[in-house]
Amino acid sequence: MPFDKILVAIDGSECSNRAFAKALDLATLANARITALAVEGPLPAYAATVGEVDEVKREKDLFFSALASRVRQEAKQRGLEVDVDVRPGHAAELISQVATEGRYDLVVLGHRGHFLRDHLLGSTADRVAEHAPCPVMIVR
Amino acid sequence: MSDIAIAALLVATILIASTISIEIGLSVALIELLAGVIVGNTFDLRVPSWLTFIGSFAGVLLTFQAGAEVDVPQFRREWKASVSIGFVSFFAPFAVVGLLARYGLGWNRRESEIGGLALSTTSLAVVYAVLVETGLNRALVGKRLMSATFVTDIATVAGLTVLFVKPTLWIVPFVVVSLALIVGLPKTSPWFFGRYGNRVIEPEIKLVFAVLCLLLWLGGRANSQAVLPAFILGLVMSDHYARHRIEQERLRVVAFAFLTPFFFLKGGMSVSAGALWANLGILAILFAGKMVPKFAGVYPLARRYTAPHATFTTLLMSTGLTFGTITSLYGLNAGIIDRTKFSLLIAVVVLSAIVPTAIAQRFFRPHVELEDAASLAAPATAQAGASR
Repeated sequence: MPFDKILVAIDGSECSNRAFAKALDLATLANARITALAVEGPLPAYAATVGEVDEVKREKDLFFSALASRVRQEAKQRGLEVDVDVRPGHAAELISQVATEGRYDLVVLGHRGHFLRDHLLGSTADRVAEHAPCPVMIVR
Repeated sequence: MSDIAIAALLVATILIASTISIEIGLSVALIELLAGVIVGNTFDLRVPSWLTFIGSFAGVLLTFQAGAEVDVPQFRREWKASVSIGFVSFFAPFAVVGLLARYGLGWNRRESEIGGLALSTTSLAVVYAVLVETGLNRALVGKRLMSATFVTDIATVAGLTVLFVKPTLWIVPFVVVSLALIVGLPKTSPWFFGRYGNRVIEPEIKLVFAVLCLLLWLGGRANSQAVLPAFILGLVMSDHYARHRIEQERLRVVAFAFLTPFFFLKGGMSVSAGALWANLGILAILFAGKMVPKFAGVYPLARRYTAPHATFTTLLMSTGLTFGTITSLYGLNAGIIDRTKFSLLIAVVVLSAIVPTAIAQRFFRPHVELEDAASLAAPATAQAGASR
């Protein structure tokens, strides 16, 4: 199987958990290197207080730190090592950018995320499928 | 509609606003403001006196919190570069909007001053969110921008206090008590918080509320404003809160859960959609009155102090939200401006939160790598900035 480097997008949602499990299956089959990209979404736009921004940022940091530990543990149980890359930004843009810069052979992601905003401008999966430089596997 | 029915409707609105804010990633304050416009205009609600009181108190609490969120050590390091940008960012739109309103739109002197003040502000929170997202909060340009925003904000609250004071004899106890609190509270609070803090009954939050209520009362009796002492009080307490994050978080929880939603809802409810629709031309003039002088004044200084991000800096210094709302609501509550002028000012304030921010992020977003940000950063901050 021609997949040496797999990028899987994770956000802790049910769909992303299924996508991560599928990515682990594929990595096992193809003996591929796997990287989990966790995108911390945008901070509250047009906030009225620094506190609101601070709290959301802190919650995101805690959430994604716990998520990174969890996916490392899951991969370890399957005998795999996973690199976890947590970055702030807009999901679709960043996933495509990381896939391009890292020369990944496959991007795996769930078909929907946590929030309504993930669907307002078209789903992240749709946009990654359109812009990614490599095959994209969308997991339902 | 009875008071309790209005309360039920507003609390339900606050709940819905919170969930929408999380789902679509917009600030809860902005959603509450817009929800207030919808609820107020749909149900034609009167604003009950309890809402006016909670709104006023929440406004002073927001001002206190804004002071407490300032990174004082960072400001001390960057004040020379920041004072000029911050002062011009305040004075240019204040003068232009004030003159425009007075001589172009025929507003009276006090209305024009409220207009000038409301549109002179820069939103610390909007600036901060963008800086954190871009990573510039750790770079020199971000630190200068935050400090300049502080200068603009303190000029606004000082203007609001000084311009509208019609002192009575109560000004003496107001000033004395304010000074005593500003000097005494940072010294006594460690003992008070140590002895009575960390309890579910939250004496430390009650202490802050008691102090702010005292300032509100004395300020009212003196025909003055509590915002300046509240802001300075927050400022002198910022070091304490930076070392005791949990206390600040608890205060935020109480404020966000119950108080500030009513402040922004009341602001929205007082907006007349019909008046806005009928005055779109004036709205455009006032918006330009804020943006053009901000650009003309800030951009040349930004080229000197925050290059190569001068346009980005200028756009962010043109944002506004909380202090613009506080100033406009003060003008409405004090009977200085009518509902139409209030609606126009709030609309421009909201537009100024959205438009320059969106342009800055879409077209002028700096691509700062973390290594670059680290190399640009000033020496590690001793307090608040470290966790920001």
